[in-house]
This record gives sequence, C-alpha cells and structure tokens, in this order.
Amino acid sequence: MKLKEVDRTAMQAWSPAQNHPIYLATGTSAQQLDATFSTNASLEIFELDLSDPSLDMKSCATFSSSHRYHNLIWGPYKMDSKGNVSGVLIAGGENGNIILYDPSKIIAGDKEVVIAQNDKHTGPVRALDVNIFQTNLVASGANESEIYIWDLNNFATPMTPGAKTQPPEDISCIAWNRQVQHILASASPSGRATVWDLRKNEPIIKVSDHSNRMHCSGLAWHPDVATQMVLASEDDRLPVVQMWDLRFASSPLRVLENHARGILAIAWSMADPELLLSCGKDAKILCSNPNTGEVLYELPTNTQWCFDIQWCPRNPAVLSAASFDGRISVYSIMGGSADGLRQKQVDKLSSSFGNLDPFGTGQPLPPLQIPQQTAQHSIVLPLKKPPKWIRRPVGASFSFGGKLVTFENVRMQSQQGAEQQQQPRPVFISQVVTEKEFLSRSDQLQQVVQSQGFVSYCQKKIDASQTEFEKNVWSFLKVNFEDDSRGKYLELLGYRKEDLGKKIALALNKVDEPDVCIKEGKQESEFLPPAGRTFNISVSGDIDGLITQALLTGNFESAVDLCLHDNRMADAIILAIAGGQELLARTQKKYFAKSQSKITRLITAVVMKNWKEIVESCDLKNWREALAAVLTYAKPDEFSALCDLLGTRLESEGDILLQTQACLCYICAGNVEKLVACWTKAQDGSSPLSLQDLIEKVVILRKAVQLTQAMDTNTVGVLLAEKMSQYANLLAAQGSIAAALAFLPENTNQPNIVQLRDRLCRAQGQPVPGQESSKIPYERQQLPKGRPGPMAGHTQMSRVPAQQYYPHGENPPPPGFIMHGNVNPNATTAQLPTSPGHLHTQVPPYPQPQRPQNGWNDPPALNRVPKKKKIPENFMPPVPITSPIMNPLGDPQSQMLQQQPSAPLPLSSQASFPQPHLPGGQTFHGIQQPLGQPGMPPSFSKPNIEGAPGAPIGNTIQHVQSLPTEKITKKPIPDEHLILKTTFEDLIQRCLSSATDPQTKRKLDDASKRLEFLYDKLREQTLSPTIINGLHNIARSIETRNYSEGLTIHTHIVSTSNFSETSAFMPVLKVVLTQANKLGV
Amino acid sequence: MIHDAQMDYYGTRLATCSSDRSVKIFDVRNGGQILIADLRGHEGPVWQVAWAHPMYGNILASCSYDRKVIIWKEENGTWEKTHEHTGHDSSVNSVCWAPHDYGLILACGSSDGAISLLTYTGEGQWEVKKINNAHTIGCNAVSWAPAVVPGSLIDQPSGQKPNYIKKFASGGCDNLIKLWKEEEDGQWKEEQKLEAHSDWVRDVAWAPSIGLPTSTIASCSQDGRVFIWTCDDISSNTWSPKLLHKFNDVVWHVSWSITANILAVSGGDNKVTLWKESVDGQWVCISDVNKGQGSVSTSVTEGQQNEQ
Repeated sequence: MKLKEVDRTAMQAWSPAQNHPIYLATGTSAQQLDATFSTNASLEIFELDLSDPSLDMKSCATFSSSHRYHNLIWGPYKMDSKGNVSGVLIAGGENGNIILYDPSKIIAGDKEVVIAQNDKHTGPVRALDVNIFQTNLVASGANESEIYIWDLNNFATPMTPGAKTQPPEDISCIAWNRQVQHILASASPSGRATVWDLRKNEPIIKVSDHSNRMHCSGLAWHPDVATQMVLASEDDRLPVVQMWDLRFASSPLRVLENHARGILAIAWSMADPELLLSCGKDAKILCSNPNTGEVLYELPTNTQWCFDIQWCPRNPAVLSAASFDGRISVYSIMGGSADGLRQKQVDKLSSSFGNLDPFGTGQPLPPLQIPQQTAQHSIVLPLKKPPKWIRRPVGASFSFGGKLVTFENVRMQSQQGAEQQQQPRPVFISQVVTEKEFLSRSDQLQQVVQSQGFVSYCQKKIDASQTEFEKNVWSFLKVNFEDDSRGKYLELLGYRKEDLGKKIALALNKVDEPDVCIKEGKQESEFLPPAGRTFNISVSGDIDGLITQALLTGNFESAVDLCLHDNRMADAIILAIAGGQELLARTQKKYFAKSQSKITRLITAVVMKNWKEIVESCDLKNWREALAAVLTYAKPDEFSALCDLLGTRLESEGDILLQTQACLCYICAGNVEKLVACWTKAQDGSSPLSLQDLIEKVVILRKAVQLTQAMDTNTVGVLLAEKMSQYANLLAAQGSIAAALAFLPENTNQPNIVQLRDRLCRAQGQPVPGQESSKIPYERQQLPKGRPGPMAGHTQMSRVPAQQYYPHGENPPPPGFIMHGNVNPNATTAQLPTSPGHLHTQVPPYPQPQRPQNGWNDPPALNRVPKKKKIPENFMPPVPITSPIMNPLGDPQSQMLQQQPSAPLPLSSQASFPQPHLPGGQTFHGIQQPLGQPGMPPSFSKPNIEGAPGAPIGNTIQHVQSLPTEKITKKPIPDEHLILKTTFEDLIQRCLSSATDPQTKRKLDDASKRLEFLYDKLREQTLSPTIINGLHNIARSIETRNYSEGLTIHTHIVSTSNFSETSAFMPVLKVVLTQANKLGV
Repeated sequence: MIHDAQMDYYGTRLATCSSDRSVKIFDVRNGGQILIADLRGHEGPVWQVAWAHPMYGNILASCSYDRKVIIWKEENGTWEKTHEHTGHDSSVNSVCWAPHDYGLILACGSSDGAISLLTYTGEGQWEVKKINNAHTIGCNAVSWAPAVVPGSLIDQPSGQKPNYIKKFASGGCDNLIKLWKEEEDGQWKEEQKLEAHSDWVRDVAWAPSIGLPTSTIASCSQDGRVFIWTCDDISSNTWSPKLLHKFNDVVWHVSWSITANILAVSGGDNKVTLWKESVDGQWVCISDVNKGQGSVSTSVTEGQQNEQ
C-alpha cells in the first residue's frame, strides 16, 4: 500500500535506524533529468509522519546544492544514542567528488551544511556504502576501478582495499559485508564482482558466471550469512538476481528469474533476510525470498521503472522507490487498503466544499461514491509469508490463580534446511507466588481455625506484636476465648481486681489508720452515748426543729428536703431510704444535681444504672474508664450496644489515636462489621499483609463471637464480605485456590462473591457445590446458531431454567472431560509422540568446516552466531536433578526414571519441594508443563534447581515442575505404614458414629479428607523416619485408647519436626485425637 | 512457532496458536494436559487467541496473518467455527474481548491500520463497526478498559443496565497508543493519543480494575521501552507515562496479573520478567527468570531458557 509520495527525480536515503523520527533525504539525481530539464539541484529532507493520513510528505528542509548526485547514503556516524538528528549524509557526485553533509544543520536551515568534500575520484561516484561495524568507514567506487575507503575521522586521505582490478572498469556497486567488518565487495557493469579483505589489502575472490551478460546493477550481502551475497543484472538478456555462496564460487547458488527485463536496483531487508526487493525495467517491484527464489509480493506500481529502491532501516515494513517519472513513493509491504486514505481525502474535499450545496445551485451534490473499481484495486494483499518482525516469538500471560503461561521459541537460523528442523515449542504454566509471608500467615490462620487453638494463636500474636496497640487488640481478642472474659478485659484496661483491692487497702490505711488509733476512745464517747441517756427532741423553729416536726408527722419528703436544703446530705439520704424507693430515687437525683464532685457523674451512673449516659457523654480521653465501667456493670443484653456506642464515638473523634482504640470497643462488642470498617479507615489496607492483619483479627473475632455469644456469624456484612472476597482474590492470585475458597464467606448472595466462588470451584476442577439457581453468578448467554437468543449486551433473565447453563453440568462433557479428575497416564504419550534422541543431536544444516575456523568466510554459524545460540553437536539435555536432591528418601524408581536423559516422558520432574499446604481437602498441584505441538517431539526436561525445603526461596515465582503423569495415579501406601491409615480412619469412623452434633461430624469428615495429605506423603515416602515413628506411636496409643498419650506424642512430633513437613496433616490429627478423647470412643 | 497461549477464565483450559495455522485447546486441570481440540480454519500463521467470558459459553477468538478472525465455539463437546470475520485487508494481529458486562464484543487490530469491533446481536449475527486508519501501517494490539461505572456497582438499581462507558486502547506501527471511546451514538471516537514510544508499539494492556479510581495501561515497544500510563481522574483524562524499564531488545508482550499488581514483560531476548510497584511508586523487577537459573536461592521458572 502506498503511504506517501514526493514528486522528485532524486536519489534517496533513509535516516539510520537509530534516528527518531524517520527522515528521508533526497538529492537530485544526476542521471535522470526531470521533465523540466532543469539542471538545478537540491538536497531535501522529509519527515515520515505516519499519523498524517495524507499522501504528502512533510518537507523539513531544502538545501540548494551545486551538485547533482549519483548516490546518496545516510550513515549513523557520530550519532548519539538518543537518536537526535545527526549522522552524516554522504553524497556521490558527478565529477569524482564525495560530499559530506550534516543533516541536522540542513534541518536547522544552516547555510554551512557541508562537513567535508573530496574529489579524489575519477568520474561519477556511483557506489557508496557505510561499514555497519565501524560507521566512520565509507567505501566508494567510481570509474577506472577506483575504490576508496574513507575514514570520516580523517577524510583527507582515503585508503584503497588493494591494487586496482584490471582491466579498469566502472565500479557500479560496493557493499560491506554484514557479518565480517573487514570484508568488502565491489561489482561492475562488466559482471564481475570482487571480494576484498582489508586486512590483507587484496582481493580474495572474484565472482563471475562468465556469461558476459551479468551487467551488475546491484550487489548486496546476506544480512545473516557471511559468505552469501546477491548480484543483480541490468541486462535485459539476463534479468536475474544471482545468489552466490563464496564457498562454492564457481557458480551461483540460486538464480532468481522473476523479472522480465533488466533489474535496476535491489535492497535486502536487514529485518528479515527472506525479503529481497528488486525493481526492473519491466516496471515491477518485487519482493522475493532469495533463499528460495519465491516471489512473496509484488508492489502495485504504475508503469514506470524505478531506478532506486530502499528499505527504511527503522520501520521494517516501509520502503521507498524512486521512479523515472519523477516520483519517490513510500510503500508499506503489509498490504492494507487505501480506502481509509481515500475516504479521508474525500472527507477533506467535502469539508472544503462545505455542505451539500456548495455552489448555491439549489441542487445538492450527489453523494460522493468512491468508484467501485477501488474495491478490487485497493485491497492489496500482504506478503505471502509473514515477515519476521511480526512473528511474536515470546509471550507471558497471567491467568486466574496466579498462573503465568509462558512460551518462547528457540531462535533458530533462518537458513534453508534449518526450517524443516522442528524445535520443541514448550508452553509453560508456572505458579507465581509473590507474597510468601502472606501465604504462610494465611496458612497458619487456617490451621488455627481448624485446630481451634485460638488462645495460643492470640498469645503468639501478642508476643510478636510490634506496637502497643497491636498487642492490645490481640489481648482483647484472646480474652474472648478465656473464662471471665469481662474480668480479663478489665485487667487489660488496667483494672485488676486484686491490685485494686490492695490499692484501696493501702489508701485506707494511709488516711485512716493514724486517725482511727487516736480517735478510738473519743469516738466511743461521742458516738456511742451510754444507753438510757435521754435525748432532746427539739421542735424549735430552726432547721433541726422543722426536720424533727416533719419526721414526727411522718413527712419524710419534707424532712429530706430540709436536710438537702441544709446541705445535710447524709441525713437526707438516710431519711430517704426510710421514706421508700421513690423518695430515695428523687433524693439521689437531687443530690447528684447539687453535688459537684469529680466523680459524681460516675456515681450517678452507677447508682442510676445509666451506662448509656457515661458512654455517651464521658470525655473520650476516659474511654478506658467508660469501657471498664461498662464491662463491670452492663447487663449482657446491653453490653454489646454500649461497647458499640463507645466505639462509634471514638471513631467519630478526630484524634487518630482514639479512632484506632474504637477497634478495642468493637472487639468487646463482638461487632465484626464495625471492626472491619474502623480498621479499614485507620490502616492502609491495600497491601496484602495489612489485609492479612485485618483478616486474622476478623476471623478470630468471628470465632469468638460464635463461641461466646452463640450468634449466627454466617451473616456477613457488605464491608466484611468485600474484604473477605478481596482476601480470597489475593489468595487465589497466589495460587492458593483451596484456601481462597475456605475464606470466602458462604451465605451471601453478593454477586461478586458468588462469581468468585464459582470461578474458584471450577479452577479447582470441581463442580460448583450446592448449586442453586440463586447462586448462579451470571446469566448464561447463549450463542445459538440460527436460534433466537437473548440479545448480547442485555442481561436478560433466561426464562427457561435449563438454559442457565454450566459447562460441566448439563452438557455432556466433551471427550476430553471424561478424564475429569483422573488423568489418563497415557494421554501425554499419546499426544506427544516421542522420539528420544531426535532432539538432542542437532546437526547444523550446512557442511561442517574442514579447515581452521579463523577465516572470515568460514561457514556462518561458526563465526557469526553468538556463542549462546550455538548448539553443540553432541548436545545432551540437562538432567533434571530435582528429585534426587530434594527427596533423598524418594522412590528410587522414579528417580531413575528422571535421571534418564532421554526418558520417553518429558514431563518427568516431580514437584521438587513440599506441596504448599492447601487446606480444604484439595490437593493443588502447581504445574509447569511443556506442551508440544502434534508431531512434535516433546521438549526435553530443563535443568531444574529448586530451593531445598526450608531453604530461602526468592519471593517471586514459585515454580513447580509438572508432576509426571504416572505420579498422578496414586501409588499404594507401603505395607508397613498401611496400619497408620487403617488406624486413623477407624478412629474417625468411631468418632463419627458416637458424635452427635453436626459440627463435630463436619470437623471429622473434613479431617478424614485432610488426612489424605498424610497418606500421600506415605505413598511418596517423603516423611522423615522420626515422624513416621512418631505416627506409629500415635497409632499404638490409639489402639490402647490412650488418646492423651497420643496427644503428647503428637505435641512432641510437632515440636521437633520441620513445620512445613507436617503442617498439612498434623493439626488435623490433633483434632481427631482431641475429639476421640472427648467422645471417649 | 507458538505465537500466543492463553488460559480460559478459570485457568483450566489452555489455548495456543501457532504458525502452523492451528489453534489448539488443552485441558490442563490438575497438572494434566489433554488435547481437547485442534482447530483448523486459518490459512496463515495464527497470532493471537482470546477467550470470551464463560457466561457466553465456551468461545474462543483467533486472528491470523490470513486476514481472518475466527470465532470458535464449543457445542456439545465439539469445537466448531461459529463465525468468520473477513473484514480486514491485512494480517489481523490482535483480538480482545470486551468486559463481559457489555455483551459479546470483540476488538480486532490489523496491519491494514484498521480496528474492527464485532458485536454479537443474537441469532448468529455479528454487527461490524470499523475504525479505519486507526494506526498507519498497522495496529499491533488492542486491550479493553475494565468495565467501570461511575459510582459503585453495588448501588446499581437492579434490572437497570448500568451506564458503562466503553473504552479500549490500541497500539500500532505509528508508535502511538490510542484510546478509543464509544460515543452515545455508538460510534467509536479517538479520545486520546499517548505518545512516548519512538518505535512500534508492540502491545498494550489495560490493567484490571481493583476498585481504585486510577486507570493504568502498560505499553511496550520495539524501542525496548515499557511504559506504565496512569490516569488518576478519568474525567480530566490526563495520562502520565512512567518508564518501567528500557530493555535492550524489542519487548513483545505485557500482561497484568488478575489483581493488577504484577506485570509480566516478555521480550525478544526470550526473557520474561515480573514487575511490581513498590510502596514509593517505583517499578521494581521482582523476578528475572534468567538471573536465577542455576541458583538455589532464587526460585525461578526453570526451563525458560534454551540457551545452552
């Protein structure tokens, strides 16, 4: 497809690959006169702006030159890495002159743009090339067999590659080798090509087919293969491109006869060695594969000949061609349609002409129709073969469950013969684990929930707490699982009963003791008057008298009032007691109204039992005291509400410190939802670990609430549900699908959670449990064939429930799914026919060198291909060394299998570190599996060196080598350990039969499932002897019904063994033993 | 040569496509690998595959150098071609399904410079919208923005179709990343041009939404650069690029983890690296699969390298 065009009869040079943006320099051609026969010359620079849809090229600069050019190249000499415009334009002139221009100065509009000039040559300088290894070296060729090598650093004195060839002839082309920097080739219209070695300073080989018809118009080295080059002939009698290999220089390796008339120019793509452009006097521009001779593409051109053609070095799909009709056209070889372009032009036109009636004729213009013929013309097919640069060789994509699918394609030489050689193309599925700490903490949490060891868990957390607050939170949580939780809360708030008692005693002693001693005698005399002594009932008019009168008349109320009035509080209260409840209450009220002491309000609240008042109006600095009071006095039914209230007040306070304390109140209240809200507000909840912090607390608190308040904790608030599903998502993203499922709240219909649950279940390869219509996470949209269905984009309720579809539910499973959960061990072999040995010896597809390898023109692979790409002849695939290292006690048979380098099954390295403990009864296998294409040999096993169990492993990709398929079919448990299984299962059965409540039963059922982990380990014989012994001891104690002994042994094992080795089953075993002990079975 | 490998929504099936013109589907549950289907229909190398959301059934789209996009569907256990889109004039390089909330919509980017959008309208019919000349010389990648509605999803009155704003990003041979938005009249309009790369944009990946107001796009290019583009305020629509890294070779592919916190970058040097944003907003490489080879202390994806 044509992208741009410029009306110039000119030589052209693209800016070097480093340059951004892309420029095209044009210099007036010396050989072709344009239609005006003007002899003016200019050097112009255009920018290739692909975001501009028009065909025009943006001119950046024009420099009027006194020269016309036979050749023009743009070298990257002294170009900085940033790719600013620079480099050097090198022009070959008519009279033996070579001129160096500074393109940046041309663009800047400078007058002085010539860097240097030299006219040492004889005749027109037609041939120019820059050495790609040393960009300061330029080769030029002119008449009289003249070839000069110019050093741009020292431009005055050129070198020669050797003695001139005889007879003298014009040099029409010159080219540096693309692989070996000191090799140069030149060619002349006579048809001879000469290869020069600059180190030897002489021609080393001459290439000619002796037909005398090769009239060399083009010469190009193979971009990759050092010994190959092509020559193009301008002669109409022999319009060919010859491919030569200098190792067989007697005749061309291949002759491309695709042009009908002489070829004027060629260009070999540096981006894809299978693309060679040629243009000829048959007015064709062809793109062929010089390695096969096949024509891949014919550019749609007009009938004009092109005399120059160039690939754009930076944009591999772009090329430019200069034609004799005075036009330089820029094409894309990726095909495509010019409709867009045309449409744009049409749009532009119509916008220029305004609306439908531009000329005011009263007649609207007929709608513009793009002529029909464009339809067939404009669709330009792309290259027959996709160019190398669009073939994506590598990729890595994430998928659900933190799996990373990666594939890569071994870079191989695109050489004839090599293509047939099939390479293994594995696809790997790896588990990406980035949050190790998060996972292990989550794991612990789950175990705690399983084993109900909340107190010790909390204690551990308290001990590990970094901050006082954290410690408090965990202390509060712990209290929930202890007796006398309120008392313990008080202690935590600093009100230890014993301490207080002591303090009070101390206080009393201090104040009272001396007084008491001294006053004792006095008191007796004063306060205990001798009996029988009369007293005077005064009825005088003073207060005393009035009180007396009131009392005598039984008017307690007035008496109390009088006392109060006289500030005789004690009297008033005592009288009020006598006057009955009502009066007492009123008196108390009046007392409190009068009293101003600091603690009055507390006393008020205590006496009036008005805790709400305290909680609502206390100074929040005293939140501890308020909470303590609530803890001490509040009735169970109002306790939570009061704690809540206090928490809410704290939370709404501006003080951040107080806000966090609200969490403690919510813990006391057992209000999970509010705890979540408060915590989220106070903490940065975005990181996995801070979410873990929260979830730990929430889970523990929920358990506590379940235990202490017997509340239904299954109801999950919106916020909590969100957090929990976030948490589950994180777990899933780390590959812990089973754990994610376990933490996902159950009784909720929130769509995101239901969807996540569905996704998790399926990811595990299970059917979705308890599938009810209400739980279907999304409507199934049918994509029927010829059958009406719901419109896409409208989430309609499907009326027929049967259409609510689950892939594994109603539809008969596709053949592959019959394997559900039971992988056919032969599947791999069936699919991947193996041919041991085939892979491992890779003979280079070209002849091996017979001589020392220091010659530049040795076979390409040996001096050109970087070492790392080289495949030794006797290549042996590395032996996976996982199992022998990792599993010293492992099954020797499997090890042997794995050690055979060309074992027929390629997928043969076992997961090399302990399977992560994934609760929930699901064995989750991290997998990495090479998938082959059919007819493809299986990939050989790669070296696999993993961290030893417990060894520090980087916190990134946890790579789990695929389980060999035969491993999936379980091996039997060794006979000597079978007793363990029978004993444990028997015990669980016994427990089950005597357990009454469903919760216990569920626990036991789960335990039974989870003990599979143990049985798996027994099968694999991966447990250490101490653990095995210990397990046998437990089994024996079970047989003697001595469960407490069993528990002791259990504790011993756990404390002495590697956590990761036992964590999968030991907690469960403990649960079983505890239950058995409790049930006394 | 494999050109793409994608797992389905659940991570239980793997689809691969290759220059041998085939699309293959494997069941990879429980560490197994069972070839379920070998789909033939393309007449050139197949560049990409994309799974539709399972609510629409088991549907896979593939695109190829043969200028075709084929939509495959599993019906009663058999995979069959259900639709073939031949609206492009050159290699179709990228396919991407829109968020499932919008219905079945597939965006396809082609070397002819156009992007086409196929919308399933029921009864086996697909409506085609085409954005011509989206990227001169070719579009290399398309990636949809996650479905985000202004306001919370939970508060949406039930039954009412949320007012989604559909957007996607594309990258192409004009070195540009373009953001496209569906106008109210259903036409797609270029909303934004993101310019930072100095060579072909090889891939763009719009990060999944994790409930934050920030939108994030990763892009990679022939120039070896990977940029992370962020837009904090979708209404202002100002995007700022941050250079993740400049690699020494072309970077072909970028992929976000489901939780959008890890970016996998795969480059022409056959390296896959994983990147994560640190607390201070810098992107750090958390895994270089080359680096760890042979080392016990770093657990790596072994077998990634074939360099011997």
